[in-house]
Amino acid sequence: MAAERELDRRPDPDALLALAGREGRGKLKVFLGAAPGVGKTYAMLAAAKRLKDDGGDVVIGLVETHGRAETAALLEGQEILPRKKIPYRGRELEEFDIDAALKRRPALIVVDELAHTNAPESRHPKRWQDVEELLDAAIDVWTALNIQHLESLADVVSRVTGVAVRETVPDSVLQNAQDVVLVDITPEELIQRLHEGKVYLPQMARRAVQNFFTPGNLTALRELALRSTADRVDDQMVAFLRQNAIEGPWETSDYLLACIGPDARADILVRTAGRMATKLNASWVVVHVERPGHEQTDPVRLKKIDDALQLAERLGAQTQRLSASDIVAEVLRYARRENVTQIVVGRSRAGWLRRRLGQSFSDEMVRRASDVAVQVITTPEREAPRAALRWRRPKLKGLFPGGIAALAAVAFAVAIGEMLSLVLKLPNLSMVFLLAVLGCAVSFGLWSAVAASLLSFLAYNFFFIPPLYTFTVASPQELLSLLVFLAVSVFTGTLAGRVHDQAEAVRQRAQNSESLYEFSRKLAGAAKLDDVLWAAAAYLRKIVGGGVVFLIPEEGDLRLRIAWPPDVELNEGEISAARWAFAKNEVAGWRTNTLPTLAKQFRPLVTPRGAVGVFGFEPMARGDAPTPEFERALTALLEQTALAVDRSLLIGEAVRAAALEDNERLRTTLLSSLSHDLRTPLATISGAISTLRQLRDRLPPKKSEELLASAEEETERLTRFIANLLDMSRIESGALKARRDYLDAADCIRNAVERGRRAFGAESIETSLAPDLPYIRGDAQLLEQVLFNLLDNAHKYGGGSKAIVHARREGAQAVITVTDDGPGIKPADLTRVFEKFYRGGKADGRKAGTGLGLSICKGLVEAMGGTIEAQSPAARRRGTRIVLRFPVAEMKKSLPP
Amino acid sequence: MKQRVLIVDDEEQILKFLATALEASDYAVISARTGREALHMIATAAPDLVILDLGLPDMDGKEVLVRARAFSNLPVIVLSARDREAEKIEALDLGANDYVEKPFKIGELLARLRVAARLAAHEQAKPAVFEADGLRVDLERRLVTRDGVPVKLTPKEFDLLAFLVHHAGRVATHRQILLNVWGPAHAQDMPYLRVFVGQLRAKIEAKPEQPKLILTEPGVGYRLWTED
Repeated sequence: MAAERELDRRPDPDALLALAGREGRGKLKVFLGAAPGVGKTYAMLAAAKRLKDDGGDVVIGLVETHGRAETAALLEGQEILPRKKIPYRGRELEEFDIDAALKRRPALIVVDELAHTNAPESRHPKRWQDVEELLDAAIDVWTALNIQHLESLADVVSRVTGVAVRETVPDSVLQNAQDVVLVDITPEELIQRLHEGKVYLPQMARRAVQNFFTPGNLTALRELALRSTADRVDDQMVAFLRQNAIEGPWETSDYLLACIGPDARADILVRTAGRMATKLNASWVVVHVERPGHEQTDPVRLKKIDDALQLAERLGAQTQRLSASDIVAEVLRYARRENVTQIVVGRSRAGWLRRRLGQSFSDEMVRRASDVAVQVITTPEREAPRAALRWRRPKLKGLFPGGIAALAAVAFAVAIGEMLSLVLKLPNLSMVFLLAVLGCAVSFGLWSAVAASLLSFLAYNFFFIPPLYTFTVASPQELLSLLVFLAVSVFTGTLAGRVHDQAEAVRQRAQNSESLYEFSRKLAGAAKLDDVLWAAAAYLRKIVGGGVVFLIPEEGDLRLRIAWPPDVELNEGEISAARWAFAKNEVAGWRTNTLPTLAKQFRPLVTPRGAVGVFGFEPMARGDAPTPEFERALTALLEQTALAVDRSLLIGEAVRAAALEDNERLRTTLLSSLSHDLRTPLATISGAISTLRQLRDRLPPKKSEELLASAEEETERLTRFIANLLDMSRIESGALKARRDYLDAADCIRNAVERGRRAFGAESIETSLAPDLPYIRGDAQLLEQVLFNLLDNAHKYGGGSKAIVHARREGAQAVITVTDDGPGIKPADLTRVFEKFYRGGKADGRKAGTGLGLSICKGLVEAMGGTIEAQSPAARRRGTRIVLRFPVAEMKKSLPP
Repeated sequence: MKQRVLIVDDEEQILKFLATALEASDYAVISARTGREALHMIATAAPDLVILDLGLPDMDGKEVLVRARAFSNLPVIVLSARDREAEKIEALDLGANDYVEKPFKIGELLARLRVAARLAAHEQAKPAVFEADGLRVDLERRLVTRDGVPVKLTPKEFDLLAFLVHHAGRVATHRQILLNVWGPAHAQDMPYLRVFVGQLRAKIEAKPEQPKLILTEPGVGYRLWTED
């Protein structure tokens, strides 16, 4: 019955997935307190001790006892990980040793003070990142945290207590914790403990104590701690209900979008949106939109955006950088595509001009968002930047040619106007100036046009409106027409300038996509891995400005494959960042959460098969955050590169697989060849003998004799074959030692030829030996064997023709050749004939031979310090010539008399 | 009249001793050293039997077999140094009547030659009764007796035995048996066949654990023993 009910329930699959996702990871337990001194460490250690006493595999990773005897007593009998000593500016800092912890791999590790900031040069800037890595390695972690360090509450805490919170922990860490234990005492008790000296506070903080440990502050912090724990319990309840498929009213999942700009309010907006998202139990995204052609160049503002987006990520948001000339439309388009239910924007403080020309950003967002709720957040006036800043900042560089052009155009307009007024008596010359404004707008864009408008306004007034050569205006009509002119010129100039800017942006984009196309074409042209990487490196170094490197895994470890400039070496920190990037598929190094102090950043080359390598680069200016343009370009280029690298790796694998297959085929051929060579003589022997036994009476004596002769001959053949096999294995194992005697090559040749004539007939071999044949060093017996093998081959494959042996001196070498007049060897096989068991044709359908003759010759010749080579055709498109070369032995000129 | 045997092999020594042995056993011998020559002689010299080596200089012996089967039904015994089962099966499935593996004893080859010749002679008039080692199979009346005692077989067991009787003395490949007894749908069901052969042996063999009648050709098929 129970089982049946079990089956009837259908748990929410998403909830179960989340549970399964957690299973591979370690479990995190957080001991949460409202303030220092509530006894978090004590509670944590007491629990750890109980577990250890029960036989649990517990290790103390790092705990600060602050000299408190009660706490230190709890450490007795515990396994404590030694700390890592990091030298820093003459001092020695002690830090948690994460590598030692990963190596030890306990079931549970205790790491105190989650919000701690690690010493510089550590792998992660923050301890919570160390803890994340431990959890990823399936190690359970217990840790302690004060509520004030929670990222989303940091600003609330500093508002309430007046103490700035510098060390923060992302909310997601606490959200993903398996358990949260609230360690709580009342504010009165805590203050009493403080007075009794039971609360350790760092020296520096003592001054703040008076301000911090007030009953009001502590009550507020306590409430925050209690409330966030209660929220968590609530979440757990919901999760439990879902996993166990208990019916209930589920919140519709909201999706929040916060839109930030480059001002001081961005972080406040992000925190506010974060709190809203938490309350709504909604996911959220923070978006920043830039207008092409108006990219921020001011480092202060760039950092603001960067910081705000990083903050958002720490608070658990997704972030997105967009680019569009119409910001509102782009945000709405994104919101609709992603099913955003609420958009959060700050109230705009646009300048008057902006308000004249259009509406403020927030107003426009409210007006145009017909189907999405928009929340306009009012933020405190905190060093809010003047709108005027916005107008001055952008395009300082662009102002120079544009401004000079405006000046020149207006001066030109004045000159033309003066000339015209000499010739004609025109009532109004404003059109000439308007022309100058439009000219500036079309050639240099918006800013130049606005400058030209203002200059024209002044110049027109000064030169052409009575009283002349003053800035005063006499008649009210003239004043009116002057103002109208200003309005018209600003308006048309703005319009024309915007057109120009948009055209410029389009041109830029076209250029970008063209260069991307060019890049992918270059990559497509390269097939070998190194070619791909060099092509990519040559291009990428132009984009990033500094040095670039590519690391590719070889034999299980990342190796530096390509570097530009070529002498770049990676230090240990950089290599571990690269390994991290490769293993975790994340960006590491400069301006990331992993090893941010490095000069280089490392990005994985991601393909559908996983990471295939790592790209590292050194940015041109370390201080500047990468612009969205850069980010986009780099991402696109690296995607292309990753695919090209993947492709070249796959080609390499295919080639290797083909080689393996070839090898396999060779092995099969070799086996069947061996089997044929052994069986054929055996077949004759066994057949002849069985015939003799069975049919002896019916055979004439001559036939019996013939059968016996065949058996004998085949026995010899088998013996030769086996001897060859043994020779071969002797040569291969290095057991064969050739003597290095002084040899008369002519003698050896004559002996071998004599043997050959006995075996294959007197007419089968011709010789031609030069009279001045030198001495060589070697083994007479082996050389004779080589020559006999060559003659045997010439006889077998020479098609019945004569074999010719030549010998002569060529400089410091003695050259011996054996030439036949057979069909020859195909050019492709010329080197393969020396391979073991290689024979032309099929495995068993050819001349009786061992396939070892030439490879044995090669082994013997090389053992004597000579070389062997096959040439074909030898003459008149026929024949094979085997050429042996031996170094001439230097003999003493004469024997003593 | 002497039967004429064509020997196709490129090994001089083998040709020599085979010719000696076959002539001493009352066969007339002609020989060919290449596949082309062999095909020409099969077409023109009217041999009664062919002994075919698979490794020939100009073409594969299997190729010769395929081309010869296009115009001739004469018995072919494959002689080969290739010891892979796949090769034997392929040759048998391509229409070879039997095979002998090198090295071999002459008695074995002569016995196969006799079987092949007999089967060729009786191809039209199939024997109605098969007798060997106390087993008697009457194909027409579908009666099987062992030492005079009737043996009860299922229809499929009888079909299997009948197929082996038709091929008595030479090897029948697994595939040939499965195709003919069970049909094309079961051509690959080797384990099926093994079970049936086991059952059949239990009913007709004197000692089923040491079969004397249905002999296993490892990896290739089965052969029904004859008194030849």
